[in-house]
Formats: sequence, structure tokens, C-alpha cells
Amino acid sequence: MNYPDRTPRWRRYLRLLRPNVQADVDDELRFHFESRIEELLASGETPLDARQIAAAEFGDVREVKRGLVSIDHRLAAKRSRIETMRDVFGDVRYAMRSLARTKGVALAILATLGLGVGANAAMFTLLEAIYLRPPAGVVAPSGIRRVWRTVNFRNGMQYWPGNSYVQFGVIVGALGDRGTAAIYGPPVKMKLGAGESATQVQVSRANSSYFSFLGVPAELGRIYTSDEGRLDGPDPVAVLSHDYWMRAFDGKRSALGSTIVLAAKKYTVVGVAPTSFSGVDLNAADVWIPLGSQRQRRAGATPWWQDSNINGLSILVRPLPGVSERGLEQRITTALRRPEAAYGAIDSSTVARFGSIVSANGPGESSQEQRIAVRLAGVAIIVLLIACANVVNLLLSRAVRRRREIAVRLALGISRARLIRLLLVESGVLAIAAAGVAVFVAYAGGIVLRKLLLPDVHWAQSPLDGNVVLLALVVATVAGLIAGLIPALQAATPELTDALKAGAGSGVVHRSRIRTGMVVAQAALSVVLLVGALLFVRSLTNVRNVDIGFDARRLMTASVSFDDRSASRDSTLPSRIAQLADQVRAIPGVQTAGLASMAPMSGFSTITYFTETDSSALGAKWFPTVTAVSPDFFTAAGLHFLRGSNFPPHGTATPPQVIVNQTMAKGQWPGREAMGQCMRFAKRDAECYRVVGVVQDSRMSSILEDPMPQYYVPVDNVPVDGGGLNGYYVIVRADPQRVGEITAATRSLIRQEFPGGIPQVTWLSDYIEPQYRPWELGATLFTAFGVLALIVAVIGIYSTVSYGVNQRVHEFGVRIALGAQIGDVLRLVVGEGMRTLTIGIACGVVLALLAGRFVASLLYGVTPSDPVAIVSVVVALVAVGVVAALIPAWRAARVDPVSALRAD
Amino acid sequence: MTTNQLDLLQGTLDVLVLRALSWGPMHGYAVARFIHHGSDGTFTVLDGALYTSLHRMEERGWLESEWGLSEKGKRAKFYRLSTQGRRALRTETTGWNDYVAAVGRVMTATPQVT
Repeated sequence: MNYPDRTPRWRRYLRLLRPNVQADVDDELRFHFESRIEELLASGETPLDARQIAAAEFGDVREVKRGLVSIDHRLAAKRSRIETMRDVFGDVRYAMRSLARTKGVALAILATLGLGVGANAAMFTLLEAIYLRPPAGVVAPSGIRRVWRTVNFRNGMQYWPGNSYVQFGVIVGALGDRGTAAIYGPPVKMKLGAGESATQVQVSRANSSYFSFLGVPAELGRIYTSDEGRLDGPDPVAVLSHDYWMRAFDGKRSALGSTIVLAAKKYTVVGVAPTSFSGVDLNAADVWIPLGSQRQRRAGATPWWQDSNINGLSILVRPLPGVSERGLEQRITTALRRPEAAYGAIDSSTVARFGSIVSANGPGESSQEQRIAVRLAGVAIIVLLIACANVVNLLLSRAVRRRREIAVRLALGISRARLIRLLLVESGVLAIAAAGVAVFVAYAGGIVLRKLLLPDVHWAQSPLDGNVVLLALVVATVAGLIAGLIPALQAATPELTDALKAGAGSGVVHRSRIRTGMVVAQAALSVVLLVGALLFVRSLTNVRNVDIGFDARRLMTASVSFDDRSASRDSTLPSRIAQLADQVRAIPGVQTAGLASMAPMSGFSTITYFTETDSSALGAKWFPTVTAVSPDFFTAAGLHFLRGSNFPPHGTATPPQVIVNQTMAKGQWPGREAMGQCMRFAKRDAECYRVVGVVQDSRMSSILEDPMPQYYVPVDNVPVDGGGLNGYYVIVRADPQRVGEITAATRSLIRQEFPGGIPQVTWLSDYIEPQYRPWELGATLFTAFGVLALIVAVIGIYSTVSYGVNQRVHEFGVRIALGAQIGDVLRLVVGEGMRTLTIGIACGVVLALLAGRFVASLLYGVTPSDPVAIVSVVVALVAVGVVAALIPAWRAARVDPVSALRAD
Repeated sequence: MTTNQLDLLQGTLDVLVLRALSWGPMHGYAVARFIHHGSDGTFTVLDGALYTSLHRMEERGWLESEWGLSEKGKRAKFYRLSTQGRRALRTETTGWNDYVAAVGRVMTATPQVT
């Protein structure tokens, strides 16, 4: 038997490239057979016998060969794995060593990339939580639709997720057997416990089918039944969230059956929801109670489930598979327009629409904070771009400094591919370290962002999850590798002889187009961010300058509330509060105190009135708010009279008087003088309250609303009884420097005068300050990012100019030797730096104008193309750029021509 | 069962191969001849099994291989003991000697009546 297949000779050469297992085995065995046959022939066997003997001694050639090949394949694979590992390990070690040699650059890259990626990770976690992440613990959340319907608000038509129970009934009817529905109230803060030790919890009212609709079982105990959850006077039962159960009951089973007090009502805990479930809103719920809980029912009044004014309930629908959503929306729209849907408030134009269960993703208006968050995500991306540009720059300058090292390596025969791999491993090591920094920044930044942007949200999830860590890792690595690739490719193709020859500079100037490009990009992007920052700062100033009427910093409101409702109906209460006002006035630091039926900016109150002029033209939206006040009120609130005078002091007998605000004066009696006009209340022929004064406008609820009509009646001569026109609130003008002591003194006074009462002392500035928050937030965050971008850009300009100067020391030496003055050199260097910067700034202004429309809706009193903002940014950037270029230019101007020319 | 048809256990063959290579690097054919001559025809080893043993021990890290030229100038694969292989030979040899001694004791023992 001949040794079977002879492989062609050329295949042996393949072995130079990679081991050819099959061929090697063939060769080895062929050698064996040839040797054996030769020996047998030498001992006198015939060729035929020799072959047969050799084959017999060997055994099954085919079988053995198959075994050998498979062993060798395993061996080759193992070897190549070990080799790769050893290579990578070596590269990593080399990279670490070379990075340690340039610690400053390495740290700068780490910080830049870490901050850039971390800021993005934090931003996108927040956005994901707001816009994308479906509520945890819910079965098939993508199949659930939230019902929105159009509502005509004062500022126009909007989609609104709130509904009344009547509308729920209508929607369930329209659904029929095409799907299921649930109704619940989004979490609201409720007082837990009683007295002053009371805390707050997030309570969601939900119908009993809410849990089964979402597919959420009780982890412990049970969900309340539909009988317990009946609309009219449901049983006081509660289901706790797992999180709240752990916090308040340490996760003890004894929580079941225990009692909690919510808004002065006792509830029995019947169950605990599973770990992951915290409701279906961004705001996590701590406690669920039946839908009809906490609703008063007065005899004769409309029960709440038929009251179209109780309309803050959210409705979820789960259409059956195959049911057309458009069709369902249409059916619900039609049903909602029918008169029986409205109970007196027919809205024949309403449109129902389905949205995602994630409410921020629905068709409604998003809050200013959410809109800022979206813009900030854009800003974060810009910062990342600037960071990447900076990293490219830093790596490039490193690579340039290592030209000679690289050239030597190339000359010694390292392959370009291997060199690129080496440089990539270096940036890879950096990138992974940066990813670590980024994850940390993302975590810390996530906490800060949540606090700043959405402080009122009760978060269920931690600000960092696995996806974010993964995202940060991937982004940092990709960004690092891309940033590393550019210099790696550039470095791997140097003119060998050139680089080897070059000393400090042989007259050849290497201007890097990439570096210049990076500086242009950085400058442009920082212009965009800085213009944005300035627009927000100017908006903030404008908002701050809006006159709200009240002197908010000095305005304190004091009143008393009772857990026991009968105490608050005590008829002596108004006079006792009037006495309280006198006592408060005596507190040091208090300037004056008046009485009002309503705290400033706390609500609306209307009563029907008639005037001599026809007011039907004013339309249905003309609802002037009435407040009963004592004469001291206006001084206390800081409201100035425009015409006329205040009410006379208490006890003076005068005909009934009324004071109106400016908007009321203009709107109620257009073209006529309001002073001296008559207002008659409740009935057309009632007593005439004569307008004796016109007072300035003040805000009713928000700092940026249009002024609304208001009028004031004397608290000791109110036109109608029982309209809540009692002086329940003491309005105090006090020294803002002594907030703490005045608050404390007032509280103890109230406790002393009203045993069993709970002091309510608030400062108006505490109420309105949160309204400035979005503006401050925009200004702060955009400024922070803008300054960060500016710093990075300045470093970029400095390092580029500085690098250029180093390259041209020789040239400057020649120029100075030939008689160039310091000024000439300065102008030359700075001029070149500024040329780059100017291109960047020009691009930046164009970009800023283009990007302006994305923030226009978030600005107040300033347009995105605001020339002041743009010009100041350009001037600032030019100034900073000149300084950044001057430092290296100065170095260039002081080059000693002799030593510069001698070097080499 | 006759002695020249003695079936060698795999472990035993490994020890023989290791022993052969302890004299220096050899190609597979030389190892085969070494074992053949050493056993003096007492037992035969199929050459296929021998090569399997060589490759398996290389995978295990006991042997290292290299292509070289034979005495007659032909391309051949040479095997050499690795440090690991040397250590294995020592323990296997001890084990084999113990085994042989034990078998010997049993073969020469006489029943002891108690």
C-alpha cells in the first residue's frame, strides 16, 4: 500500500502564513513510511512486501491520521489563543508605560473624555427614565394606552390626560368587548400621621381592577376587592409599595392589618405590591387606596363620580390584539361628545387620543424642565464632540512628540499595522479608564440632574443602571478608539527619513490640518454653547425683573389649620385670627399685618356681581377673583394704589366700598373711569359697593401669567356670607433678614392662641421661588457647559499655537536675526492663531443662529438671534483667544536667534 | 495470551515514548525503532498508536516539536521533552517501577497459612 494522497509541494509554503495541520500530518507520516520501506528494502525485502509490512506495522492509516489531525487542530487553536493574549498583554503593558511617561496628557484625556461621556450618560439616563422606560413590574406595558383628550385651556387647546369618572364610564362603554380599562389618580402628596409630626407620602387612588389590569399581583396580603373599593364610601384599606413597606415597616409581615393615617383618616393595610412595581407614572407611589377614598359627600350635592369637576383621573386602556387603535380612538371621541358624557359640561369638539403608557411620551405639553432636559441632552452631545476634538488634539500632539520614536520603530521593521495596533491599544487603555471615570460622573451627575431638574419626583429607580454603565463603556471606548485612530493613522505614515533627520526644526513646518480643524470645531461649538448660556442668563434676568405686584421677599402668610374639621368651622375663628394679627404686628421685625380671606397666589374665588354697564361682551372667561381684606392688607402685601384710596380703618362707618385692580378697572369699564362705579353682588338690586380705589395688578398663580382681574371687599363688610370671605389669613410684611425668628415667633404665638391647631406659616418667596427654577436651571446648566466648552477650546487654541511656535523656532530665529521686532513676531503668531479662531467663531455664529429655534420656546423676553448675546460671546471669545495665543507668541518673540540657529 | 501480543496500556506506551525521548530529540520513526529494539520483539506497538501518543503528549504540553532534517537529509518532525515532560517521565517511571515490583512480589509469593 502506497502512502495515499500526495499533497502538492506548493501547499508547504502556505505553512509560512499559518500552520497547515493536515499537510503537516501528511508530511510526518510520509517520512515514517519512506524511512521504514527504505530500511526493509535494505534488509532484502521486495518493494511490494516492504510496503505491506510497513502498512501492517502501522495499523489503520486513515483512522490514525484523522485522530492526529484533530489533536493538532486543537493544539494550533490553543497556541494561537495564547499568542494573541501574550501580544495584547504586551501591548497593554507597553501602552501603560508610555502613558505613564506623559502623565499630564493622559490625565487630561481621561478627564475630558470621562466628563464628556459621563455628562451624556447622565443626561440620557434621565431622558430614558422620563420618555422611554415603561413602568416596571407591569405585564406587557407596550399594549397599554393612556387616554388623552383635548381640553380648552386659557392658553389654547391642549391634550390632557385627566378625566372624570363620568368620562371613564363613557370610555368603558365605547370600548365594549374590544379591550379593558382602568382608572386611577396619579400619586399626590398626602399627610401621613397627625399633628406637627406628620410626614408626607405619595398616594395614588386606584380602582380595584387597576392592579389586575396591569397584571400586578400582591406580593404579600392581597389587593382590595371591588366591594371594598366601591365608589360611594369605600372601605378604608390600603396597599403599600414594596419600597415604602421596607422604609416604614422594615419589611415586617406585621404591617398587614396595621393602621396608617392618611389626611386624618385611618386606613388598614391589606397588602404589599411586588418589589418592582411603583405605579405607572414617573412619580413613584408609596400607597394605593380605593378610588373613592377621601371624597366628601355632602347631602344633596353631586356625588364625586358624577361630578365633571373632579377630572384629574388617568385612564388606561388595553385594546385586545387585532383591535384598530384609530378605530377605538374614533369611537371614544364620538362617545365623549355625546351630551350624557358631560353632565352639564358638553364639549362637542373634544378629541380623544391614545398615547404611550409613559405619559411624557403622550401628545400633551411637556413641562419646561423636561424641555430643558431635552435641550441639555443636545448640549451634552456638543460637549462630547468638543471633548473628542480635544482628545484627538492631545493624542495628536503626543504622537507628534513621538515622531522620532515611531520613525525609529518603523525603520527597525515594525509593521505599520502593528504600529497602528499599538497606538490603538494605547487609546483603548485610555478609553477604558475614561469609561470608569464616565460611569462615576454619570452616577454623580445623574443624582445632581434629578435634584435640579425634577426635584419633586419621587424616583423609583437608582440613577445608574446596567444599560447606562454599558452605554458609557461603549461610548467611551468608541470615542477613544476613533480619537486614537486619527493620530495613529497619521503617525504611521511619516516621511521616514524626514522624521529621523529632523531635530528641533529643519526649516520644514508641519502644520497639521487636523489640529486646525479641531480648533475650528471647538471654537464653533463653544460659541453655540456660550450664546445659549447667555440667552438663558438674559431670560432669567428678564423673568426676575417681572413685577408680580407683591413684595414677595417681605410677604409672610400666617394661619391655622385643624385636624378636627369642626374646629375650623368655629364661628369665633375670624375674630380670634384678627386678634392674632394684632399680636403678630408686635413681633420685632414685623412692619405691618393685615387680614385676607385668601393667601396671595393661592387660588381663585368668584362671586356673581352686576354692574351698570353690560358685561356680557367680556365673555365667559371674565372671572374676577374676590378677596376680602382689611385696610392693612395692601401695605402688608406691598400693593400700591394707582388712584383713589384704601378702605377706612376698622370700625369707621361708611357706605360699602370696593377696590379693584388695574386690569379689572380697564376691562370692566372700558373707556370709562372705574372710580365711583357700582358693583352689586348676588342680586341685581343689591346694595351698591362703590369703587373707591384702583390698585396695581398682582399675580394669581404664576409669575408669567397675564394679569387677571381682581377686586377687594372690606373684610368687615362682605357682600355675601358663606362665600369663604372671612379673614382667615394674616398677611404680614416683615423684615426678610429675620425670616427664621419671625417664623418661629409666629408659630409659637399660634400654638399658644389656638390649642390643637396646626400653625401654617409660609413666605410668598418660598412659593414663587420654584417658579424661577427652570430659568435658573437653564442659565446655570447652560453656563456650566458653556464655560467648560470655552476652557477646552482655549486649551485647544493654546496648544495648537504653542505647537506651531515650537516647530518654527528656527524660522523665528532667522527673522529676529534679520531684524524683526518683538511686535512683528507677536503679530505673526497671534495673527495665525486668530485666523483659525475667526473661522471657528464665524461657523459658530451660523450654528448658533440655526440652533436658536430649538431653545426659542424656553426663552423669555429675548430672541435666539439676540445681537447682544452673540456680540458679547464673539468679543469674549476673541479676547480669550488673543490671550491664549499671546503666551506662546511671547515665547516666540523672545527666541534667542543664536541658540535657535545653533541647535541641531 | 502470548507475550508478543501483549497489549500495552496507553499510559505504558506514553512512558516508553518519554523514555525514548529522554535520550534527546528524535523523530517519530526513530522513537518507533527505539521501542522496537528495546523490547527486543517481546511486544509490538502499532506505529499508528505511537504517533497518536506523540501528538497527544504534545497537546498536553509534555513534548515540543520542530521540523528539522533527518540523518539522511529528509524533512522530519522532531520531538523533544519539555520541562513538564521531564517531570512526567520521573513520576511515571517511579510509578512503573512500583508497579513492576508489586507484580513481581505477587508472582513470587507463596500462600501464607495463618
